[in-house]
Amino acid sequence: MTFVKRALQVHPSCPGAIRLGIGLCRYKLGQLGKARQAFQRALQLDPENVEALVALAVMDLQANEAAGIRKGMEKMQRAFEIYPYCAMALNYLANHFFFTGQHFLVEQLTETALAVTNHGPTKSHSYYNLARSYHSKGDYEKAGLYYMASVKEINKPHEFIFPYYGFFVVSIQDSYNVSFVICSTASCPPPPPPQIITWVSGTGLGQVQLKLGDFRSALTNFEKVLEIYPDNCETLKALGHIYVQLGQIEKAQELLRKAAKIDPRDAQVAFIDLGELLISSDTGAALDAFKTARTLLKKAGEEVPIEVLNNIGVIHFEKGEFEHFVLCVFFWVMEFVYLSLTPDSFDVLVVQSAHQSFKDALGDGIWLTLLDSKTKTYVIDASASMLQFKDMQLFHRFENDGNHVELPWNKVTVLFNLARLLEQIHDTVAASVLYRLILFKVDYVDAYLRLAAIAKARNNLQLSIELVNEALKVNGKYPNALSMLGDLELKNDDWVKAKETFRAASDATDGKDSYATLSLLNIHLICLVGFGKGNWNYFAALRNEKRAPKLEATHLEKAKELYTRDDKSQSGSGSGKAKPGLDFAMATQVIVQHTSNLYAANGAGVVLAEKGQFDVSKDLFTQVQEAASGSVFVQMPDVWINLAHVYFAQGNFALAMKMYQNCLRKFYYNTDAQILLYLARTHYEAEQWQDCKKSLLRAIHLAPSNYTLRFDAGVAMQKFSASTLQKTRRTADEVRSTVAELENAVRVFSHLSAASNLHLHGFDEKKINTHVEYCKHLLDAAKIHREAAEREEQQNRQRQEAARQAALAEEARRKAEEQKKYLEQWRSSTPASKRRERSENDDDEVGHSEKRRRKGGKRRKKDKSSRSHYETEYAEADMMDYREEPEDEDASMNYREPIGQMNDQDDDVEENANDRLAAAGLEDSDVDDEMAPSITAARRRQALSESDDDEPFERQLRDNTDELQDSDGELRENDHKSNGGAALDDD
Amino acid sequence: MKFAGLKSVENAHEESVWAVTWVPATETRPALLLTGSLDETVKLWRPDDMQLERTNTGHCLGVVSVAAHPSGIIAASASLDSFVRVFDVDTNASIATLEASPSEVWQMQFDPKGTTLAVAGGGSASVKLWDTATWNLIATLSIPRPEGLKPTDKSSSKKFVLSVAWSPDGRRIACGSMDGTISVFDVTRAKFLHHLEGHFMPVRSLVYSPVDPRVLFSASDDTHVHMYDAEGKSLVTAMSGHASWVLSVDASPDGAAITTGSSDRTVKLWDLNMRAAMQSMTNHTDQVWGVSFRPLGGRVVSVSDDKSISLYEYS
Repeated sequence: MTFVKRALQVHPSCPGAIRLGIGLCRYKLGQLGKARQAFQRALQLDPENVEALVALAVMDLQANEAAGIRKGMEKMQRAFEIYPYCAMALNYLANHFFFTGQHFLVEQLTETALAVTNHGPTKSHSYYNLARSYHSKGDYEKAGLYYMASVKEINKPHEFIFPYYGFFVVSIQDSYNVSFVICSTASCPPPPPPQIITWVSGTGLGQVQLKLGDFRSALTNFEKVLEIYPDNCETLKALGHIYVQLGQIEKAQELLRKAAKIDPRDAQVAFIDLGELLISSDTGAALDAFKTARTLLKKAGEEVPIEVLNNIGVIHFEKGEFEHFVLCVFFWVMEFVYLSLTPDSFDVLVVQSAHQSFKDALGDGIWLTLLDSKTKTYVIDASASMLQFKDMQLFHRFENDGNHVELPWNKVTVLFNLARLLEQIHDTVAASVLYRLILFKVDYVDAYLRLAAIAKARNNLQLSIELVNEALKVNGKYPNALSMLGDLELKNDDWVKAKETFRAASDATDGKDSYATLSLLNIHLICLVGFGKGNWNYFAALRNEKRAPKLEATHLEKAKELYTRDDKSQSGSGSGKAKPGLDFAMATQVIVQHTSNLYAANGAGVVLAEKGQFDVSKDLFTQVQEAASGSVFVQMPDVWINLAHVYFAQGNFALAMKMYQNCLRKFYYNTDAQILLYLARTHYEAEQWQDCKKSLLRAIHLAPSNYTLRFDAGVAMQKFSASTLQKTRRTADEVRSTVAELENAVRVFSHLSAASNLHLHGFDEKKINTHVEYCKHLLDAAKIHREAAEREEQQNRQRQEAARQAALAEEARRKAEEQKKYLEQWRSSTPASKRRERSENDDDEVGHSEKRRRKGGKRRKKDKSSRSHYETEYAEADMMDYREEPEDEDASMNYREPIGQMNDQDDDVEENANDRLAAAGLEDSDVDDEMAPSITAARRRQALSESDDDEPFERQLRDNTDELQDSDGELRENDHKSNGGAALDDD
Repeated sequence: MKFAGLKSVENAHEESVWAVTWVPATETRPALLLTGSLDETVKLWRPDDMQLERTNTGHCLGVVSVAAHPSGIIAASASLDSFVRVFDVDTNASIATLEASPSEVWQMQFDPKGTTLAVAGGGSASVKLWDTATWNLIATLSIPRPEGLKPTDKSSSKKFVLSVAWSPDGRRIACGSMDGTISVFDVTRAKFLHHLEGHFMPVRSLVYSPVDPRVLFSASDDTHVHMYDAEGKSLVTAMSGHASWVLSVDASPDGAAITTGSSDRTVKLWDLNMRAAMQSMTNHTDQVWGVSFRPLGGRVVSVSDDKSISLYEYS
């Protein structure tokens, strides 16, 4: 480069060739602008310079704007006219003609090109062009040959990447294993239905044979090869493919696994291939294959990129079949890719590479500009932002600015997929731009629907409905659109309309669209709930079905009818209402078969639970949950909730709480106030008032305008206080916190009552007021309790002090006594010894009788024992003394107590001390319990006479419990209302 | 433009931390951090070593928002029981207790001069303005009811005011509500000017650009951050990238970036020139309720339901 530059400095007028050299250098370095300058300069110097012309043309083409392409082609043609044997130009021209469909010209041009060049990549390109030409003409045999030839010419597969017009070629490590991704351009007329992309992989020849449908002969061919080269990966893989095509999937897997063992580097590819092939027939197995590929990749420590992104970008599908399913499957694969890889956080790498692959597939175009900064210079008027997602102004303005907005129809699908991916990674803004771009050019129903879905997710229902209506204008019977419209109408509380819409959707698919059917069913349930609101809750509404008013009965009839219809179409998974037991068995059978049946099974579980068959429904839910968590496509938080509900109903609060918490965390980023409410209710039933309160406060924080939650929080606090006050034993601290809690409750309720004046919520003012009143009373009582408790505490403290003193006194006295006893004993022992001395003396004296001696001995014995007794006693007393110093005064006072036998007296002292302690309420709880209520009762009475209310407190207490039950009911009612909601959400 | 994690305090509170703000430095001490939590306490932290300076009690029910006076001397904290407690930062001496029943209290902010405290009034569909000298209620900025609606109409409850923000020149107040509309008021005339539309889900946090009194950022449950021209009523741009609700937004003092905290447990840094997320911090394990730039720049703090506080360097 520097050399060339220097040369240029020395000879500024040197021939164009050097400029050309500079241009090429710049081009390779990626400095496109400068390269272009250099080429142009070269052309100026030598207008006949073919290379420069071609290079410029290539650059124009790669810029890939329609104008650029036209210019590029013109240049190419000029180059061709100047020098008809420039292989490069020939190839590009051929390429062009391929797209315009002039296959004859393609063949001629490429053949010429082949004749004139020896350059590998160029030749390969030519062969490739030829192959494509034949391929699209359906001449698979020739196509196969040329693919082979093309592949042979490639030394470095990386050089062979042509990101034009959706034809992108991904090279995978092995030069034999170049996979061509080809849009099956032949059959789809614009405007296109979701376009099917075929991934032709593996060696061209085998693939072509496969294409030809001549599986048997292909099989024999490959098997022959395998005999000779039993370890040939390629052959193994090809055979695997053939077995897949023949439906012998197990055999295919076996072969591929073998291939994987031989060449682990290649294995992922093999499995990805397998997955691709399986998608059309068996999605489950396809996913397994993908998973294997993924693990293999991980094991190999390789990056994930191209293979997986191919999965994302491309799906092998027999053309024409299941058109509208293609996209579904596509989304599944996409979701699979990042959900299964790292369930919690997206695998950034994969997403990025997928993103890149789509971009590659798209090539250059307006979308790139749109995705980059340019769009952002257009300010959308906020008042018009209602129409944010319908806004086409952007593109009009863009066109007015001189940019040509062009969207080749065969790129629509890829663009759509890219947008879908962007949406999945939460780049909704960019996604919506792309969808709008699609819609700007094509009436593409799914793009409308996606936009509608985005709007719906953002709660912009009006716009969403408009968009769905647009979609319906394009295709009035598109079931997805109808279903969505129904959904939206439901959200808008427009049940009647929604019902009709769902019916239309259901009819449009001859009842095969289970979503619509289920939704229709749900509407009936909603209606039931709606009318059931008059009753005390949802469950009651369902249970009372037979006695229910006419309207409900009709809805129920319809619901039943729908269930049975559902039954027929889906092996009866939803018909729990009619025969729960039988249905259960059937439902479990079909659960795993199809995702929509999961929902149906879930619904069946709900019905069972409502019927009170908790065990059965629990089993059902557990199975659904397992199935759902096993599948990466299905996100079913509802089944978790339902399971939790069942646990709750069965009184297994701990498990229920766990379920709710997991569900919240797993599916809702902890943002669902409703589940928090369930959680709070579980805490409530489990009498964990503080947890209940905390959960409710969290819920309030999440849903500030939900006054019901405040009400419930108030109730929880009230209940907490009441329960503490009803406790037989409580500390002053407890009572104090109770008072604080009650004050809060009063505040909450009076707030609610004030707010109800402003008509902010639908509560009965009277009800709140009763709560306020009750809480106030409770508060008054509690305050007294608090005072009492505090007083009691104080007294306790005093008593404790007194008791301690008493104990001390006792000690002192005892010590004094001990001393006295000791003294006494000492005194008594002294005469004994004297006597002994005497007796000894007697012994000495010959004249003493034996009797006397014996007596003396006895006495001495006794003395001994008593002495030892005293000694131990004394030691004990000493030990105690060691702790506390005797107080003389007390000791002297206690001295007055009668002292009888030594041992007896000792016991008495202990008993006395105990009594005193007990009286002080220190040790014995029974005594305390007996005393405390009497005190409080007395004070209560006193308090009542003080309070304005004349009603006896006992009655209030009873009222209070009634009230509490009432509020329980309220909480439950709220719960069940929402429960109904959850059940609706279920499907 | 990037964040670098400096320090995290696990279990900074006993319960979810819901609010955070910087208390500006005074002559005698550097800037402090003020956090409020469901555990009913407000805590004061020294941000250099994240040492706890003091724990203020006295609130019942969770503390939902905290605000610091621009002088750094006083601060306010508000809880779910609808009381606002104004206190001296250094001594914790209570200065005033504000209550405007029956309106609740959500986000609060002192005006840039420090003469007024604006409080988002929840279900009262209004913003209450309190004089910071006398602590009297000086004005109630009410969102006008849509015409043709009966006062008893249920939809009126949707204008539930959650968030409030002062423009840097102190002339405008914007407030965000549950239904996603943002209302702009002229403060001097105490007059409603217009709505900013675009969100249809709760707007939980609002902030004006510190450098441009026209530019307003809003964080909404619809996972988007909007950038409005608050005077021209136009939506400049919408930024998407969060997977769940955006709970909090704050603008950097230099006006070049904003940061957001979301239910998706991330804190994101957005480059306003690129209008794209530059960085995503994933150190929190639960929803991030508050993010805040230090007024002098250079530091950012985030608080989360996971009870932790995280400090980042912004450069």
